[in-house]
Amino acid sequence: MLRYPLAALFVVATLFPLAWTAVAGFKSKTEVVATPFQFFPEVWQWDNYSRMLADEAFLRSLGVTFAGAVLFAALSLVVNSLGAYVFARLEFAFKRTLWVIVLTTMFVPAIAIMLTSFIVVTQLGMLDSLTVLVIPGAASGAQVFFLRQYYLGLPTALEEAAQLDGAGPWKIFTRIFVPLSKGAFVVVGATSFLAFWNSYIWPVLTITDPSLFQVQQYLATFRSDRTSEMALLMAGSTLAALPVIVLFLIFQRQIIAGVRLSGLK
Amino acid sequence: MRRRRDTGVALLMLGPLLVLLGIFVLWPLLHAVWISFSTWSFYEAPVFVGLENYVNVLTDEEFSASVMRGLAFSAMVVPTQVVIAFVFANLVKSVSGRVATVLKVTIYIPVVVSEVIAAIVFSLIYAYKGGLLNWFLGLLGAGEDTAWLGETATALPAVAVPAIWIGTGLASLIMLAGLLDIPEVYYECASLDGAGAWTKMTRITLPLMKNIILFLLVTGFAASLQFLVVPLVMTQGGPLDSTMLPNLFIFRHFTNDLYVGYSIAAALLLFVVLGAISAIIFRLVRSEKAVDG
Repeated sequence: MLRYPLAALFVVATLFPLAWTAVAGFKSKTEVVATPFQFFPEVWQWDNYSRMLADEAFLRSLGVTFAGAVLFAALSLVVNSLGAYVFARLEFAFKRTLWVIVLTTMFVPAIAIMLTSFIVVTQLGMLDSLTVLVIPGAASGAQVFFLRQYYLGLPTALEEAAQLDGAGPWKIFTRIFVPLSKGAFVVVGATSFLAFWNSYIWPVLTITDPSLFQVQQYLATFRSDRTSEMALLMAGSTLAALPVIVLFLIFQRQIIAGVRLSGLK
Repeated sequence: MRRRRDTGVALLMLGPLLVLLGIFVLWPLLHAVWISFSTWSFYEAPVFVGLENYVNVLTDEEFSASVMRGLAFSAMVVPTQVVIAFVFANLVKSVSGRVATVLKVTIYIPVVVSEVIAAIVFSLIYAYKGGLLNWFLGLLGAGEDTAWLGETATALPAVAVPAIWIGTGLASLIMLAGLLDIPEVYYECASLDGAGAWTKMTRITLPLMKNIILFLLVTGFAASLQFLVVPLVMTQGGPLDSTMLPNLFIFRHFTNDLYVGYSIAAALLLFVVLGAISAIIFRLVRSEKAVDG
Protein backbone atom coordinates (compact mmCIF):
# COMPACT_ATOMS: atom_id res chain seq x y z
CA MET A 1 0.00 0.00 0.00
CA LEU A 2 1.01 3.59 -0.59
CA ARG A 3 -0.16 4.83 2.80
CA TYR A 4 2.95 4.39 4.83
CA PRO A 5 5.42 5.74 2.26
CA LEU A 6 3.08 8.72 1.88
CA ALA A 7 2.97 9.18 5.65
CA ALA A 8 6.76 9.05 5.75
CA LEU A 9 6.91 11.62 2.96
CA PHE A 10 4.66 13.97 4.95
CA VAL A 11 6.84 13.65 8.04
CA VAL A 12 10.09 14.16 6.15
CA ALA A 13 8.86 17.12 4.07
CA THR A 14 7.45 18.83 7.16
CA LEU A 15 10.36 18.32 9.50
CA PHE A 16 13.18 18.57 6.98
CA PRO A 17 13.71 22.36 7.14
CA LEU A 18 13.87 22.25 10.93
CA ALA A 19 16.09 19.20 11.08
CA TRP A 20 18.40 20.83 8.60
CA THR A 21 18.51 24.00 10.69
CA ALA A 22 19.50 22.04 13.77
CA VAL A 23 22.16 20.08 11.85
CA ALA A 24 23.53 23.21 10.18
CA GLY A 25 24.10 24.58 13.68
CA PHE A 26 26.78 21.91 14.07
CA LYS A 27 28.71 23.03 11.01
CA SER A 28 31.68 25.33 10.80
CA LYS A 29 31.34 28.90 9.58
CA THR A 30 32.41 28.14 6.02
CA GLU A 31 30.88 24.71 5.77
CA VAL A 32 27.30 25.95 6.03
CA VAL A 33 27.56 27.85 2.74
CA ALA A 34 30.07 25.52 1.07
CA THR A 35 29.61 24.15 -2.43
CA PRO A 36 28.87 21.38 -3.07
CA PHE A 37 26.15 21.21 -0.47
CA GLN A 38 26.42 18.64 2.27
CA PHE A 39 23.63 17.78 4.67
CA PHE A 40 25.80 16.56 7.52
CA PRO A 41 28.88 18.38 8.81
CA GLU A 42 32.37 16.93 8.27
CA VAL A 43 33.00 17.29 11.96
CA TRP A 44 30.14 17.72 14.41
CA GLN A 45 31.00 20.65 16.61
CA TRP A 46 29.13 22.20 19.50
CA ASP A 47 30.87 25.50 19.03
CA ASN A 48 27.90 27.45 17.57
CA TYR A 49 25.50 26.24 20.22
CA SER A 50 27.87 26.98 23.07
CA ARG A 51 28.65 30.40 21.63
CA MET A 52 24.96 31.27 21.35
CA LEU A 53 24.35 30.05 24.89
CA ALA A 54 27.17 32.32 26.05
CA ASP A 55 25.86 35.31 24.07
CA GLU A 56 24.40 37.66 26.63
CA ALA A 57 22.18 39.55 24.21
CA PHE A 58 20.66 36.33 22.94
CA LEU A 59 20.07 34.96 26.43
CA ARG A 60 18.54 38.25 27.49
CA SER A 61 16.17 38.19 24.54
CA LEU A 62 15.14 34.63 25.43
CA GLY A 63 14.56 35.63 29.05
CA VAL A 64 12.65 38.82 28.26
CA THR A 65 10.49 37.07 25.66
CA PHE A 66 9.79 34.21 28.03
CA ALA A 67 8.78 36.53 30.87
CA GLY A 68 6.58 38.55 28.52
CA ALA A 69 4.97 35.42 27.08
CA VAL A 70 4.10 34.09 30.53
CA LEU A 71 2.57 37.41 31.60
CA PHE A 72 0.73 37.67 28.29
CA ALA A 73 -0.72 34.16 28.59
CA ALA A 74 -1.81 34.82 32.18
CA LEU A 75 -3.45 38.14 31.33
CA SER A 76 -5.18 36.65 28.27
CA LEU A 77 -6.58 33.83 30.37
CA VAL A 78 -8.00 36.13 33.06
CA VAL A 79 -9.49 38.74 30.74
CA ASN A 80 -10.90 36.39 28.10
CA SER A 81 -12.25 33.69 30.40
CA LEU A 82 -14.11 36.26 32.51
CA GLY A 83 -15.62 37.70 29.36
CA ALA A 84 -16.50 34.28 28.00
CA TYR A 85 -18.23 33.28 31.23
CA VAL A 86 -20.31 36.45 31.31
CA PHE A 87 -21.46 36.01 27.71
CA ALA A 88 -22.17 32.31 28.22
CA ARG A 89 -24.13 32.50 31.46
CA LEU A 90 -25.25 35.94 32.64
CA GLU A 91 -28.18 38.05 31.50
CA PHE A 92 -27.59 41.78 31.33
CA ALA A 93 -28.42 44.97 29.52
CA PHE A 94 -26.90 45.44 26.03
CA LYS A 95 -25.71 41.82 25.97
CA ARG A 96 -26.35 41.30 22.27
CA THR A 97 -24.81 44.62 21.26
CA LEU A 98 -21.68 43.98 23.31
CA TRP A 99 -21.40 40.45 21.94
CA VAL A 100 -21.58 41.72 18.38
CA ILE A 101 -18.87 44.28 19.18
CA VAL A 102 -16.60 41.60 20.65
CA LEU A 103 -17.17 39.37 17.60
CA THR A 104 -16.46 42.29 15.26
CA THR A 105 -13.02 42.79 16.77
CA MET A 106 -12.12 39.30 15.47
CA PHE A 107 -12.31 40.63 11.93
CA VAL A 108 -10.25 43.78 12.34
CA PRO A 109 -7.00 43.09 10.51
CA ALA A 110 -3.85 43.96 12.43
CA ILE A 111 -2.44 46.14 9.67
CA ALA A 112 -5.48 48.43 9.56
CA ILE A 113 -5.03 49.47 13.19
CA MET A 114 -1.27 49.03 13.43
CA LEU A 115 -0.45 52.70 13.12
CA THR A 116 -3.29 54.04 15.27
CA SER A 117 -2.51 51.42 17.96
CA PHE A 118 1.03 52.69 17.82
CA ILE A 119 -0.26 56.23 18.40
CA VAL A 120 -2.27 55.01 21.41
CA VAL A 121 0.66 53.25 23.06
CA THR A 122 2.89 56.25 22.35
CA GLN A 123 0.43 58.58 24.06
CA LEU A 124 0.12 56.20 27.00
CA GLY A 125 3.92 56.24 27.36
CA MET A 126 4.15 52.49 26.91
CA LEU A 127 6.93 52.36 24.30
CA ASP A 128 10.07 50.42 25.16
CA SER A 129 8.59 48.49 28.04
CA LEU A 130 7.18 45.01 28.45
CA THR A 131 3.70 46.49 28.97
CA VAL A 132 3.48 47.53 25.32
CA LEU A 133 3.97 43.90 24.31
CA VAL A 134 1.84 42.31 27.00
CA ILE A 135 -1.25 44.50 27.38
CA PRO A 136 -2.54 45.63 23.95
CA GLY A 137 -3.07 42.17 22.47
CA ALA A 138 -4.27 40.35 25.57
CA ALA A 139 -8.00 40.82 24.99
CA SER A 140 -8.97 38.65 22.05
CA GLY A 141 -12.39 38.22 20.48
CA ALA A 142 -11.33 34.86 19.09
CA GLN A 143 -10.35 33.51 22.50
CA VAL A 144 -13.54 34.81 24.12
CA PHE A 145 -15.46 33.08 21.35
CA PHE A 146 -13.58 29.82 21.85
CA LEU A 147 -14.00 29.81 25.64
CA ARG A 148 -17.67 30.80 25.41
CA GLN A 149 -18.35 27.84 23.12
CA TYR A 150 -16.67 25.65 25.70
CA TYR A 151 -18.73 27.08 28.57
CA LEU A 152 -21.98 26.72 26.62
CA GLY A 153 -21.20 23.02 26.45
CA LEU A 154 -20.88 22.63 30.23
CA PRO A 155 -23.93 21.29 32.12
CA THR A 156 -25.80 23.84 34.27
CA ALA A 157 -26.72 21.49 37.14
CA LEU A 158 -23.70 22.32 39.30
CA GLU A 159 -24.12 26.08 39.15
CA GLU A 160 -27.89 25.83 39.73
CA ALA A 161 -27.17 23.94 42.94
CA ALA A 162 -24.60 26.58 43.88
CA GLN A 163 -27.10 29.35 43.12
CA LEU A 164 -29.62 27.74 45.47
CA ASP A 165 -26.90 27.90 48.12
CA GLY A 166 -26.62 31.61 47.44
CA ALA A 167 -23.41 31.69 45.38
CA GLY A 168 -23.03 34.72 43.11
CA PRO A 169 -21.41 34.90 39.66
CA TRP A 170 -17.89 35.47 41.04
CA LYS A 171 -18.06 32.43 43.24
CA ILE A 172 -19.60 30.29 40.52
CA PHE A 173 -16.93 31.37 38.08
CA THR A 174 -13.93 30.81 40.36
CA ARG A 175 -15.21 27.68 42.11
CA ILE A 176 -17.01 25.86 39.31
CA PHE A 177 -15.97 27.18 35.90
CA VAL A 178 -12.26 27.68 36.46
CA PRO A 179 -11.67 24.15 37.77
CA LEU A 180 -13.68 22.73 34.85
CA SER A 181 -11.72 24.76 32.28
CA LYS A 182 -8.35 23.04 32.46
CA GLY A 183 -8.37 21.73 28.89
CA ALA A 184 -9.64 24.98 27.39
CA PHE A 185 -7.22 27.03 29.50
CA VAL A 186 -4.30 24.95 28.26
CA VAL A 187 -5.31 25.77 24.69
CA VAL A 188 -5.76 29.49 25.32
CA GLY A 189 -2.62 29.74 27.46
CA ALA A 190 -0.44 27.81 25.03
CA THR A 191 -1.66 29.65 21.92
CA SER A 192 -1.16 33.00 23.65
CA PHE A 193 2.33 32.00 24.69
CA LEU A 194 3.16 30.86 21.16
CA ALA A 195 1.76 34.01 19.58
CA PHE A 196 3.82 36.18 21.91
CA TRP A 197 7.00 34.18 21.46
CA ASN A 198 6.72 34.31 17.67
CA SER A 199 5.61 37.91 17.27
CA TYR A 200 7.88 40.16 15.27
CA ILE A 201 6.14 43.14 13.66
CA TRP A 202 4.72 44.73 16.82
CA PRO A 203 8.01 44.44 18.76
CA VAL A 204 9.87 45.97 15.80
CA LEU A 205 7.58 49.00 15.97
CA THR A 206 7.49 49.44 19.73
CA ILE A 207 10.80 48.19 21.11
CA THR A 208 13.99 50.03 20.21
CA ASP A 209 15.88 49.41 23.45
CA PRO A 210 18.22 46.46 22.70
CA SER A 211 17.96 45.22 26.28
CA LEU A 212 14.26 44.52 25.65
CA PHE A 213 14.69 42.96 22.18
CA GLN A 214 12.38 40.03 21.62
CA VAL A 215 13.89 36.80 20.43
CA GLN A 216 12.50 37.11 16.87
CA GLN A 217 13.85 40.65 16.70
CA TYR A 218 17.23 39.38 17.80
CA LEU A 219 17.24 36.70 15.09
CA ALA A 220 16.09 39.03 12.30
CA THR A 221 18.66 41.65 13.30
CA PHE A 222 21.36 38.99 13.44
CA ARG A 223 20.40 37.83 9.96
CA SER A 224 20.74 41.26 8.41
CA ASP A 225 23.80 42.39 10.41
CA ARG A 226 26.02 39.32 10.55
CA THR A 227 25.60 37.67 7.16
CA SER A 228 28.82 35.72 7.35
CA GLU A 229 27.83 33.81 10.49
CA MET A 230 25.02 31.65 9.16
CA ALA A 231 26.00 28.55 11.11
CA LEU A 232 25.76 30.55 14.31
CA LEU A 233 22.36 31.89 13.22
CA MET A 234 21.15 28.35 12.53
CA ALA A 235 22.15 27.35 16.06
CA GLY A 236 20.37 30.40 17.44
CA SER A 237 17.23 29.68 15.41
CA THR A 238 17.21 26.12 16.68
CA LEU A 239 17.55 27.27 20.28
CA ALA A 240 14.79 29.86 19.76
CA ALA A 241 12.42 27.31 18.21
CA LEU A 242 13.07 24.66 20.83
CA PRO A 243 10.97 26.11 23.70
CA VAL A 244 7.81 26.43 21.60
CA ILE A 245 8.24 23.00 20.03
CA VAL A 246 8.67 21.46 23.48
CA LEU A 247 5.65 23.40 24.77
CA PHE A 248 3.60 22.14 21.84
CA LEU A 249 4.73 18.54 22.31
CA ILE A 250 3.79 18.65 25.99
CA PHE A 251 0.28 19.91 25.29
CA GLN A 252 -0.19 18.51 21.77
CA ARG A 253 -3.30 16.51 22.67
CA GLN A 254 -5.17 19.53 24.05
CA ILE A 255 -3.93 21.91 21.34
CA ILE A 256 -4.91 19.57 18.52
CA ALA A 257 -8.29 18.98 20.16
CA GLY A 258 -8.59 22.76 20.47
CA VAL A 259 -8.13 23.23 16.73
CA ARG A 260 -11.08 20.90 16.30
CA LEU A 261 -13.18 22.94 18.73
CA SER A 262 -12.25 26.29 17.27
CA GLY A 263 -12.43 25.17 13.66
CA LEU A 264 -16.05 24.82 12.68
CA LYS A 265 -17.86 23.28 15.58
CA MET B 1 -36.20 28.77 34.17
CA ARG B 2 -33.76 31.51 33.42
CA ARG B 3 -31.74 33.37 36.01
CA ARG B 4 -32.17 36.95 37.10
CA ARG B 5 -30.44 39.79 35.32
CA ASP B 6 -27.09 40.64 36.81
CA THR B 7 -26.09 43.72 34.84
CA GLY B 8 -23.87 45.22 37.53
CA VAL B 9 -21.68 42.23 38.20
CA ALA B 10 -21.68 41.27 34.53
CA LEU B 11 -20.28 44.62 33.47
CA LEU B 12 -17.72 44.44 36.26
CA MET B 13 -16.49 41.03 35.07
CA LEU B 14 -16.56 42.19 31.46
CA GLY B 15 -14.69 45.36 32.38
CA PRO B 16 -11.13 44.30 31.59
CA LEU B 17 -12.16 42.80 28.25
CA LEU B 18 -14.21 45.79 27.14
CA VAL B 19 -11.64 48.33 28.29
CA LEU B 20 -8.77 46.58 26.52
CA LEU B 21 -10.72 45.97 23.31
CA GLY B 22 -11.94 49.55 23.44
CA ILE B 23 -8.52 51.14 23.86
CA PHE B 24 -6.47 48.84 21.65
CA VAL B 25 -8.90 47.77 18.92
CA LEU B 26 -12.05 49.86 18.64
CA TRP B 27 -10.56 53.28 19.25
CA PRO B 28 -7.62 52.65 16.89
CA LEU B 29 -10.12 51.44 14.30
CA LEU B 30 -12.27 54.59 14.55
CA HIS B 31 -9.17 56.75 14.57
CA ALA B 32 -7.85 54.93 11.50
CA VAL B 33 -11.12 55.58 9.66
CA TRP B 34 -10.88 59.28 10.56
CA ILE B 35 -7.23 59.52 9.51
CA SER B 36 -8.03 57.87 6.19
CA PHE B 37 -10.19 60.93 5.39
CA SER B 38 -7.54 63.46 6.33
CA THR B 39 -3.95 64.47 5.87
CA TRP B 40 -2.33 63.43 9.08
CA SER B 41 1.22 63.22 10.29
CA PHE B 42 2.84 62.96 13.68
CA TYR B 43 3.75 66.63 13.51
CA GLU B 44 0.68 68.50 12.26
CA ALA B 45 -2.99 68.87 13.05
CA PRO B 46 -5.13 66.80 10.66
CA VAL B 47 -7.00 68.44 7.79
CA PHE B 48 -10.13 66.79 6.42
CA VAL B 49 -9.63 65.91 2.75
CA GLY B 50 -12.63 63.67 2.04
CA LEU B 51 -11.91 60.80 -0.30
CA GLU B 52 -8.57 62.09 -1.52
CA ASN B 53 -6.52 59.34 0.12
CA TYR B 54 -8.81 56.68 -1.27
CA VAL B 55 -8.61 58.17 -4.73
CA ASN B 56 -4.83 58.23 -4.46
CA VAL B 57 -4.78 54.58 -3.44
CA LEU B 58 -7.13 53.44 -6.16
CA THR B 59 -5.22 55.31 -8.85
CA ASP B 60 -1.81 54.17 -7.60
CA GLU B 61 -0.43 51.59 -9.97
CA GLU B 62 1.99 50.30 -7.37
CA PHE B 63 -0.90 49.51 -5.06
CA SER B 64 -2.93 47.69 -7.69
CA ALA B 65 0.21 45.83 -8.73
CA SER B 66 0.70 44.68 -5.14
CA VAL B 67 -2.91 43.52 -4.96
CA MET B 68 -2.56 41.57 -8.21
CA ARG B 69 0.66 40.09 -6.85
CA GLY B 70 -1.22 39.16 -3.67
CA LEU B 71 -3.87 37.39 -5.73
CA ALA B 72 -1.22 35.50 -7.68
CA PHE B 73 0.42 34.58 -4.40
CA SER B 74 -2.93 33.38 -2.99
CA ALA B 75 -3.47 31.32 -6.11
CA MET B 76 -0.14 29.58 -5.51
CA VAL B 77 -0.59 29.08 -1.77
CA VAL B 78 -4.24 28.42 -0.96
CA PRO B 79 -5.26 25.66 -3.41
CA THR B 80 -1.99 23.85 -2.70
CA GLN B 81 -2.66 24.02 1.02
CA VAL B 82 -6.22 22.78 0.67
CA VAL B 83 -5.21 19.89 -1.58
CA ILE B 84 -2.39 18.85 0.76
CA ALA B 85 -4.74 19.15 3.73
CA PHE B 86 -7.31 16.97 1.98
CA VAL B 87 -4.78 14.27 1.13
CA PHE B 88 -3.40 14.50 4.64
CA ALA B 89 -6.81 14.14 6.30
CA ASN B 90 -7.69 11.09 4.24
CA LEU B 91 -4.31 9.59 4.97
CA VAL B 92 -4.63 10.12 8.72
CA LYS B 93 -8.08 8.55 8.69
CA SER B 94 -6.76 5.44 6.96
CA VAL B 95 -3.73 4.69 9.16
CA SER B 96 -3.51 3.19 12.63
CA GLY B 97 -3.91 5.34 15.76
CA ARG B 98 -0.25 5.75 16.58
CA VAL B 99 0.80 6.73 13.06
CA ALA B 100 -2.17 9.10 12.95
CA THR B 101 -0.95 10.82 16.12
CA VAL B 102 2.58 11.15 14.77
CA LEU B 103 1.20 12.67 11.56
CA LYS B 104 -1.07 15.13 13.37
CA VAL B 105 1.70 16.30 15.67
CA THR B 106 4.23 16.56 12.83
CA ILE B 107 2.06 18.57 10.48
CA TYR B 108 1.36 21.12 13.21
CA ILE B 109 4.98 21.76 14.22
CA PRO B 110 5.61 24.39 11.48
CA VAL B 111 2.58 26.28 12.81
CA VAL B 112 4.30 26.81 16.17
CA VAL B 113 7.65 27.81 14.69
CA SER B 114 7.99 31.53 14.04
CA GLU B 115 7.76 33.09 10.60
CA VAL B 116 11.11 34.77 11.20
CA ILE B 117 12.79 31.40 11.63
CA ALA B 118 10.95 30.02 8.60
CA ALA B 119 12.21 32.98 6.58
CA ILE B 120 15.79 32.47 7.78
CA VAL B 121 15.77 28.75 7.07
CA PHE B 122 14.19 29.00 3.65
CA SER B 123 16.49 31.79 2.52
CA LEU B 124 19.41 29.50 3.24
CA ILE B 125 17.71 26.66 1.38
CA TYR B 126 17.44 29.01 -1.61
CA ALA B 127 21.00 30.30 -1.30
CA TYR B 128 22.77 30.62 -4.63
CA LYS B 129 26.01 29.31 -3.25
CA GLY B 130 25.86 26.17 -1.14
CA GLY B 131 22.07 26.21 -1.06
CA LEU B 132 20.20 22.98 -0.68
CA LEU B 133 17.77 23.52 -3.55
CA ASN B 134 20.44 24.16 -6.17
CA TRP B 135 22.35 21.13 -4.96
CA PHE B 136 19.26 18.95 -5.14
CA LEU B 137 18.37 20.17 -8.64
CA GLY B 138 21.99 19.62 -9.61
CA LEU B 139 21.62 15.99 -8.57
CA LEU B 140 18.59 15.76 -10.83
CA GLY B 141 20.69 17.06 -13.67
CA ALA B 142 19.90 20.77 -13.78
CA GLY B 143 22.88 22.61 -15.17
CA GLU B 144 22.83 26.22 -14.02
CA ASP B 145 22.41 27.29 -10.44
CA THR B 146 19.55 29.72 -9.79
CA ALA B 147 19.50 32.70 -7.44
CA TRP B 148 15.96 31.87 -6.30
CA LEU B 149 15.41 35.02 -4.26
CA GLY B 150 17.39 37.22 -6.63
CA GLU B 151 15.34 36.81 -9.79
CA THR B 152 11.94 38.35 -10.34
CA ALA B 153 10.54 35.19 -11.93
CA THR B 154 11.36 32.87 -9.04
CA ALA B 155 11.17 35.10 -5.96
CA LEU B 156 7.39 35.02 -5.47
CA PRO B 157 7.06 31.22 -5.76
CA ALA B 158 10.08 30.98 -3.46
CA VAL B 159 8.19 33.01 -0.84
CA ALA B 160 5.04 30.93 -1.43
CA VAL B 161 6.73 27.69 -0.38
CA PRO B 162 7.37 28.69 3.25
CA ALA B 163 3.84 30.13 3.32
CA ILE B 164 2.50 26.71 2.39
CA TRP B 165 4.83 25.04 4.86
CA ILE B 166 3.61 27.31 7.69
CA GLY B 167 -0.10 27.25 6.92
CA THR B 168 -0.82 23.67 5.97
CA GLY B 169 -0.84 22.31 9.52
CA LEU B 170 -3.87 24.25 10.65
CA ALA B 171 -5.80 23.61 7.44
CA SER B 172 -5.00 19.90 7.70
CA LEU B 173 -6.28 19.52 11.23
CA ILE B 174 -9.50 21.41 10.43
CA MET B 175 -9.96 19.25 7.34
CA LEU B 176 -9.39 16.13 9.42
CA ALA B 177 -11.96 17.20 12.02
CA GLY B 178 -14.51 17.63 9.23
CA LEU B 179 -13.66 14.30 7.66
CA LEU B 180 -14.02 12.44 10.95
CA ASP B 181 -17.45 14.01 11.41
CA ILE B 182 -18.86 12.14 8.44
CA PRO B 183 -20.73 9.15 9.88
CA GLU B 184 -19.05 5.86 9.01
CA VAL B 185 -22.50 4.40 8.25
CA TYR B 186 -22.63 6.35 4.98
CA TYR B 187 -19.53 4.61 3.72
CA GLU B 188 -20.73 1.20 4.92
CA CYS B 189 -24.05 1.59 3.14
CA ALA B 190 -22.26 2.71 0.00
CA SER B 191 -19.99 -0.35 0.18
CA LEU B 192 -23.02 -2.63 0.48
CA ASP B 193 -24.38 -1.04 -2.67
CA GLY B 194 -21.10 -1.81 -4.36
CA ALA B 195 -19.63 1.70 -4.47
CA GLY B 196 -15.88 1.89 -4.99
CA ALA B 197 -13.40 4.28 -3.41
CA TRP B 198 -13.82 6.86 -6.18
CA THR B 199 -17.62 6.88 -5.94
CA LYS B 200 -17.43 7.26 -2.16
CA MET B 201 -15.02 10.14 -2.55
CA THR B 202 -17.08 12.04 -5.11
CA ARG B 203 -20.55 11.18 -3.80
CA ILE B 204 -20.04 11.23 -0.03
CA THR B 205 -16.79 12.84 1.09
CA LEU B 206 -16.56 15.83 -1.24
CA PRO B 207 -20.21 16.94 -1.01
CA LEU B 208 -20.15 16.69 2.79
CA MET B 209 -16.83 18.49 3.03
CA LYS B 210 -17.99 21.36 0.83
CA ASN B 211 -18.46 23.78 3.71
CA ILE B 212 -15.11 23.01 5.26
CA ILE B 213 -13.28 23.33 1.97
CA LEU B 214 -15.01 26.65 1.36
CA PHE B 215 -14.10 27.79 4.87
CA LEU B 216 -10.45 26.84 4.33
CA LEU B 217 -10.35 28.58 0.96
CA VAL B 218 -11.75 31.80 2.38
CA THR B 219 -9.68 31.90 5.56
CA GLY B 220 -6.61 30.82 3.60
CA PHE B 221 -7.22 33.56 1.07
CA ALA B 222 -7.57 36.18 3.82
CA ALA B 223 -4.45 34.91 5.58
CA SER B 224 -2.32 34.77 2.44
CA LEU B 225 -3.25 38.33 1.46
CA GLN B 226 -2.04 39.41 4.90
CA PHE B 227 1.26 37.57 4.62
CA LEU B 228 3.94 39.96 5.82
CA VAL B 229 6.78 38.70 7.98
CA VAL B 230 8.32 36.16 5.60
CA PRO B 231 8.71 38.49 2.59
CA LEU B 232 9.78 41.30 4.93
CA VAL B 233 12.61 39.22 6.37
CA MET B 234 13.49 37.22 3.25
CA THR B 235 13.41 39.77 0.44
CA GLN B 236 12.13 43.13 1.77
CA GLY B 237 9.76 43.00 -1.19
CA GLY B 238 12.46 42.72 -3.83
CA PRO B 239 13.92 42.06 -6.27
CA LEU B 240 12.23 44.88 -8.19
CA ASP B 241 9.10 44.63 -6.01
CA SER B 242 8.44 41.08 -7.17
CA THR B 243 7.58 39.98 -3.62
CA MET B 244 5.95 43.25 -2.54
CA LEU B 245 2.70 41.72 -1.26
CA PRO B 246 -0.19 44.06 -0.27
CA ASN B 247 0.51 44.03 3.48
CA LEU B 248 4.20 44.58 2.93
CA PHE B 249 3.41 47.46 0.56
CA ILE B 250 1.23 49.06 3.26
CA PHE B 251 3.78 48.34 5.97
CA ARG B 252 6.55 49.98 3.95
CA HIS B 253 4.39 53.08 3.48
CA PHE B 254 3.63 53.16 7.20
CA THR B 255 7.26 53.13 8.11
CA ASN B 256 8.44 55.50 5.36
CA ASP B 257 5.68 58.04 4.74
CA LEU B 258 5.31 61.27 6.63
CA TYR B 259 1.57 61.44 5.89
CA VAL B 260 -0.04 58.17 6.83
CA GLY B 261 -3.56 58.77 5.54
CA TYR B 262 -2.62 57.05 2.30
CA SER B 263 -1.44 53.79 3.83
CA ILE B 264 -4.31 53.65 6.29
CA ALA B 265 -6.78 54.18 3.46
CA ALA B 266 -5.09 51.37 1.55
CA ALA B 267 -5.24 49.03 4.54
CA LEU B 268 -8.89 49.78 5.23
CA LEU B 269 -9.88 49.50 1.60
CA LEU B 270 -8.22 46.15 1.20
CA PHE B 271 -9.51 44.68 4.37
CA VAL B 272 -13.02 46.01 4.56
CA VAL B 273 -13.68 43.98 1.45
CA LEU B 274 -11.72 41.01 2.70
CA GLY B 275 -13.19 41.18 6.22
CA ALA B 276 -16.71 41.43 4.85
CA ILE B 277 -16.21 38.38 2.66
CA SER B 278 -14.78 36.36 5.56
CA ALA B 279 -17.50 37.46 7.96
CA ILE B 280 -20.27 36.54 5.54
CA ILE B 281 -18.83 33.11 4.79
CA PHE B 282 -18.12 32.56 8.48
CA ARG B 283 -21.77 33.27 9.30
CA LEU B 284 -23.11 31.16 6.45
CA VAL B 285 -21.02 28.16 7.39
CA ARG B 286 -21.68 28.49 11.08
CA SER B 287 -25.38 29.33 10.97
CA GLU B 288 -26.32 25.69 10.48
CA LYS B 289 -25.07 24.70 13.90
CA ALA B 290 -25.03 27.99 15.77
CA VAL B 291 -25.87 28.01 19.44
CA ASP B 292 -27.84 31.14 20.10
CA GLY B 293 -26.23 33.57 22.54
